[in-house]
Amino acid sequence: MNKTSATETAIKTDLHEILDIRHLTDSTFVLRIDKKDMSFTAGQHICVGPPNGIHTREYSVYSAEKDPYLEILVKEVENGLVSPVLKNLQVGGYVIVEEPVGYFGINNESCETQKHVFIASGTGISPFHSFVKSKPGLDYTLLHGVKTGNEAYEKNEYEKGRIVTCTSREGTGDFYGRVTDYLKLNRFGKGAHYYLCGNCNMIHDVYDILEEQGVSTENIHAEVYF
Amino acid sequence: MQNTSTKTIGFKTLGCRLNQFETDALASKFVKQGYKVIEDSEDADVFIVNTCTVTNASDQKSKYVVNKAVKQGHDGMLIITGCMANHHKEQLEVKYPNAYVVQNEDKSSIPDLVAAHFNKEIIPTGKMQGGVFNFEPASDTFHTRSMIKIQDGCDNFCTFCIIPRVRGRATSRKVDEILTNIKQVVAFGYKEVVLTGVNISRYNDEGVNFSQLLQKIVELPVDFRVRISSIEPDGFDEQFFQLLEHPKVTPHLHLCLQSASEKVLLHMRRMYTFKSYKSIIERIRNINPLFNITTDVIVGFPGESEKDFEDSLKAVSELNFGHVHTFKYSKRDGTRAAGMTNIVTEKEKTERSERLRKLAAENKLKFRKQFIGLIQNVLVESISEDGWAKGYGENYVPVKFKMPEAEKNTIYQIKISNIDKADIEDPILVGECI
Repeated sequence: MNKTSATETAIKTDLHEILDIRHLTDSTFVLRIDKKDMSFTAGQHICVGPPNGIHTREYSVYSAEKDPYLEILVKEVENGLVSPVLKNLQVGGYVIVEEPVGYFGINNESCETQKHVFIASGTGISPFHSFVKSKPGLDYTLLHGVKTGNEAYEKNEYEKGRIVTCTSREGTGDFYGRVTDYLKLNRFGKGAHYYLCGNCNMIHDVYDILEEQGVSTENIHAEVYF
Repeated sequence: MQNTSTKTIGFKTLGCRLNQFETDALASKFVKQGYKVIEDSEDADVFIVNTCTVTNASDQKSKYVVNKAVKQGHDGMLIITGCMANHHKEQLEVKYPNAYVVQNEDKSSIPDLVAAHFNKEIIPTGKMQGGVFNFEPASDTFHTRSMIKIQDGCDNFCTFCIIPRVRGRATSRKVDEILTNIKQVVAFGYKEVVLTGVNISRYNDEGVNFSQLLQKIVELPVDFRVRISSIEPDGFDEQFFQLLEHPKVTPHLHLCLQSASEKVLLHMRRMYTFKSYKSIIERIRNINPLFNITTDVIVGFPGESEKDFEDSLKAVSELNFGHVHTFKYSKRDGTRAAGMTNIVTEKEKTERSERLRKLAAENKLKFRKQFIGLIQNVLVESISEDGWAKGYGENYVPVKFKMPEAEKNTIYQIKISNIDKADIEDPILVGECI
């Protein structure tokens, strides 16, 4: 008889050492931590929190599947319980990490032949960074919605011409307006697969636009950030 | 067989079918070992409470059962197991210092714990040889249908749900074990099996997904019918829809909706949209217009506006559900939604819940009336003293018919002629054996 044990089914939690902190703006940073023996599928998220605390938050993994470390993209939330503490941690310190979960992934078999449209707001770009870095040859266009151009996190990491930074507050991006405005003006067709990650309102609006454009809900995949 | 001096084991089970399966499996094992098994704490040498923690009300009901047994003078061995034992283990051990608090992962080893107790031995926590699938096929159970556990745990992490924290990560039982289990219970005499798990649509054993498993189940060369029961509305493939037409698969699904507001579904982090849910139902009803779809709806999730709630009301009106299980949103510590603001007041939740329940009851009656004049294959669960046999048809609608000589656990073809509305919440079809 199959004896799947308690240790196999319980959610695994461990302390991981902080290897590097890369500040991208005053409030946003990439936290690189020891991977240990953890494996994940691009698009999954992990719960991360300060050591000796009870609070954790979900962060999509930012790094690639085969990178020898784990990275998460964190934006400091004012009066938050987790992100301000994470921001003040030092290299050599530790964070609590729960094992990766989630089904926000792309089909490996068709990732080079299938057209992918990634639509992110803010740090919702994180799983797409992991997709792009994990799957060479991926056919994609990434629409990144931010307020200002300095929030185009590590834009040079993406192949030129594949990322469109949409800035809503000023015109320093590739497109002055929201991702939803860009999407209304630029159709990618019914055959593409659309991946949405970011705040609830953006996802809701994009769903409506894509539906109006005749895209089947089977081709739309969403991961909500809170 | 052990020398148990005919000790009596009492059970009380709360919550889902998975708990029912696990209680049945334990009860059957105790019977095989020579114990007497009852559904109460009175006169029990051992009382086992298989708890639920999905809502605050579930916690309260579970605690009530334990307290009632203690107040009524149960002084034998007390075992508290199930999801509340996982969620509140430390508090329960403090509150009930003489009780054994056994977590889900060790539930299957409760018979060993009981045997050790009567032998005046102690099995330390952590030394129990449990396992979430280590339950033997049950021959003597509290149910007419045999529940078959195929999966445990969940990786979906819906924002309102504590279950991944108490049932753990998704894990699937081996295909061969499931098929063997079904053959065994059919050999015991069961006519219907119910596939159970926390999230069975995510079943995956070494590449065999849920549809492929179901295909193997219906191909078993034994006579039985299979009920899928509760399933999440995501990840259905073509094979799944084709299998719904198979004569062994009963036309009933409990397809959890939770809300018909796209905004609320996003905040709940459900894996589907209302539009995709609706299209699944349309497809199923194209296969069989009387396919019984039952569902769960949560009212008063944080941020649910009157308009969002009206979307759910509209869905209940439109989708012709056979039953809607209405839950008031219940904050569970440790979930994402526990930190959400924009709380709906208890008063508002109660009012919405009543509106939804009323509408759902009207629709249930409407749904069931469609069976008048049709034939149902009714699996008899009980026969009253005045000769009324009661059971469920293949569509999982309750049916009664007058037949004093009817036998339990037997399927009868019943022509439905009327509906008894004495219980307005659960009207029952009335018919005659043909």
